[in-house]
Amino acid sequence: MNRKWMFLFLMLTGLALTSGCWSKKELTDIAFVSALGIDKNEEGKYVGTIQLINPGNVAGGLQGGGGEAPSITTYSSTGDNIVEMSRRASTKISRRLYYSHTNLLVINEELAKEEGIINILDAFDRDPEFRTTATIIIAHDSKAADIVNTLTGVDKIPANKVIKTLKITEQRWGEHMEVSIQEGIKNLISPGKEPVITGFRMTGNTEQGKKLENIQQSAVEENIQADGLAVFKDGKLVDWFQGETARGVTWILDKIKVTDINISWEGEQEAVAYEVLRQKTKVSANMKNGQPKISIHVDAEGDIGEVMVPVDLTDPSVLLNIEKTVEKKIQKEINDAIQRAQKNQTDIFGFGEAVHRSDPKAWKKLKQDWNNVHFPQLKADVTVEAFVRRTGLRNKPYFFRMESNQ
Amino acid sequence: MPSFFKQRKKKTNSEDHKESGRDQPNNRSLEFIHDSISINLDMIKQKTGNSSDIVIRTLNISLHSEIKTAVVYVEGIVDSISINDFLIESMMKNHALQEKLTRENALEVISNNIVALGSIKLVSNWEQLLLSLMAGETLILVDGTNEALSVGTQGGETRSIEEPSTQVAVRGSRSGFTESIRTNTALVRRIIKNPDLWLESMKIGKATQTDVVIMYINGIANEKIVEEVRQRLKRINIDGILESGYIEQLIEDQTMTTFPTLYHTERPDMVAGNLLEGRIAIFVDGTPFVLIAPTIFIQFFQAAEDYYARFDIATALRLLRVIIFFISIIGPSAYIAATTFHQEMLPTQLLIAISAQREAVPFPAFVEAMIMEVTFEILREAGIRMPRAIGSAVSIVGALVIGQAAVQAGIVSPAMVIVVAITAIASFATPSFAIAISARLIRFLFMITAATFGFYGIILAFIMLTVHLCDLRSFGVPYMSPFAPFSPKNAGDTVVRLPWWALKQRPPFISNENNIRQGKDQKPHPPTNRGMVNSHTRKSDQNES
Repeated sequence: MNRKWMFLFLMLTGLALTSGCWSKKELTDIAFVSALGIDKNEEGKYVGTIQLINPGNVAGGLQGGGGEAPSITTYSSTGDNIVEMSRRASTKISRRLYYSHTNLLVINEELAKEEGIINILDAFDRDPEFRTTATIIIAHDSKAADIVNTLTGVDKIPANKVIKTLKITEQRWGEHMEVSIQEGIKNLISPGKEPVITGFRMTGNTEQGKKLENIQQSAVEENIQADGLAVFKDGKLVDWFQGETARGVTWILDKIKVTDINISWEGEQEAVAYEVLRQKTKVSANMKNGQPKISIHVDAEGDIGEVMVPVDLTDPSVLLNIEKTVEKKIQKEINDAIQRAQKNQTDIFGFGEAVHRSDPKAWKKLKQDWNNVHFPQLKADVTVEAFVRRTGLRNKPYFFRMESNQ
Repeated sequence: MPSFFKQRKKKTNSEDHKESGRDQPNNRSLEFIHDSISINLDMIKQKTGNSSDIVIRTLNISLHSEIKTAVVYVEGIVDSISINDFLIESMMKNHALQEKLTRENALEVISNNIVALGSIKLVSNWEQLLLSLMAGETLILVDGTNEALSVGTQGGETRSIEEPSTQVAVRGSRSGFTESIRTNTALVRRIIKNPDLWLESMKIGKATQTDVVIMYINGIANEKIVEEVRQRLKRINIDGILESGYIEQLIEDQTMTTFPTLYHTERPDMVAGNLLEGRIAIFVDGTPFVLIAPTIFIQFFQAAEDYYARFDIATALRLLRVIIFFISIIGPSAYIAATTFHQEMLPTQLLIAISAQREAVPFPAFVEAMIMEVTFEILREAGIRMPRAIGSAVSIVGALVIGQAAVQAGIVSPAMVIVVAITAIASFATPSFAIAISARLIRFLFMITAATFGFYGIILAFIMLTVHLCDLRSFGVPYMSPFAPFSPKNAGDTVVRLPWWALKQRPPFISNENNIRQGKDQKPHPPTNRGMVNSHTRKSDQNES
């Protein structure tokens, strides 16, 4: 009995000692990569810009606090593929690159246009450390390196700033969408849907953006901001959607949460602001005479946020009129988006998937040249139902009282 | 071959020793008491080494003939008031009886007519005589008789009943056991007023002759377990029993475990509750801690108050205690595993915060955790052992060293301090000190596995721990019951505590077949009318108006 226990004890001790802290990574030996930017240089090699977090400068507290030194450090490295680039970076960085907390991937616009994103994404899909829930963005009119290099103010980690900006603008304004690597890949491989990825632009001087002085002033000149939706076809960037057209895309994709729609009133341009509070968009497809037909129905509900002309909001007919105008406006945004996508011959809305769902047999035939032949000819029937839930704290605006006083 | 014989002789000797120990006490002479009182008194003096606390009072109680009498007792362990008032005084002043007294009937007259005390018995051999003297009885020796009277005058100074210091309850009885075994059994007897509450006494310890009492309720307790307890106690052959811990270690089922397989408590209500569940209590003289057998694991998470508080609150507290136990086991090891192996598991912001703190720390997380845990254990031990007056100084120094100086010096990270502090508080919050200590030990084992294999190691250690726990038995009862073996019918008083009316049965595997503890339909049935009690008066009021 005793010998048996001794044996077991020795075995366990041996097991513990010989394994020697298997795959142990001390926190002080790893470098957290917060963002990764990918460009391509003249020689045709990938240039990766790796944004590392300087924990001491982010967390503050006892260790002296931030402000003295930048919260991030970036390194760039080149390679024929992503993995080589990442490995080669070890010649410059004293710690092991740790990708588990990377949540931003920035891709160069030119790279996306010429080579496409299909080749690149496999590395991130395959690596066990890298999370495919990381957000992917396109550097619009700037290099990916510039986006990754720029220091930001309120959120100390630029990658976080980008992601949070994207999240908030998706929720509050609706012209942009957060797309993860996972979703991007899913849309890339789907024959009935093409990816859209939000673009980010860097404003101001790229050299100045790397300096700490940039965030030590109240009016930050070098900033990163969301700008447009990159539309892809066959994995390559083909067009940028901006403004209301971009919002048309998010309407159809049912990503709008809260936004603002301005309508004209009695000849006055953009006089009434309608705040959408919640909406539901349904996209359905049906086959008619062998031709697919898409119907889009939007149910929007919102408040009157602002009026700039005297409007009697106590009058139900006025409200009905506002609702009608809003409906037309939304309809226009959606139709514009569809027309532009049809011109680009890329189905970013997932109409193909809707057809697949409603008529799988017909889809099999249409699938082959959906983007090039069938989608551009597609008829979409857009119906919108808008509803004014509240008019805010006031019924009649104060303009009325001013008039009666005079 | 003289050496061979020598060895053999020794062996037989020790065997003899053992034999004699079994039906102890037997190592004194079996000589009978002598006729002459002076020889007897000399004998007592000689046997006790003329100890100064032995009082020998010689008296002359007869009027006619000279009958020499002596009263012998050990000062301090007897009730001197009753000796003076009911023994010596009545022997000296009872003139009417003293006339009848002769040498032949002296003992009879004294026991029947003179001594006004409850327990009295005749003793004829030396061994018994000395034992009863040492147990606090008073001996009456009369010249010319070869017998002596032994009067029960046990007493002396004992601590009064105080609030238990280890198991404090907000609601519930305030009385705790004392060092006196009689007081202790009386405290339980006062709660369970039932002739079926049986006590069995025995003396254990060759030198100490400690009183040990087994208490159980006849008809509820399982006779087999009672017999087992009896046998295990009888087996004990040791020179002294100073605390119930001696008994615990001599009768427990498994020594190679950190988990206690016997429960000990300071609360009479807890003992009563356990007796009603069919368990057996073992009282040991000289300690306020009473052992309870058989014990199951979940018992260490049950506080007396659980049964007094309403069931929802009791259940919430039980769950909290189970969580506390897990925290006190895996607290530091989870930190080690998460920061050295599974950085991807932590939210980014938290990881950055921890990483920033670790930046300046020279040690790996495991060493850091070990330093802090050991420091804390040292402080805790110092806090317990130090004289009260210096205790606060220790805590101040400890708080400074652990809390601030170590962090400022960059030896440990603040996050580690938080982890150690939470773990420490968790181990204090466990209701039973015995299980908290075992968690303390296991914690270090878990830290090593966590440093070796990360969470994988923690899970492995957990599996081993579970297997070990399921392997334990306490007097034949599975330690993990009613989880393993699982008995859902009886799981109402484990991690959860159902309302009292739902706890129809006693815990499984412990009591005998008589395991129904309450009548049918004990659920309260308030009247279906949900109106107020005095609603009829309101109605009549309305009628009047």
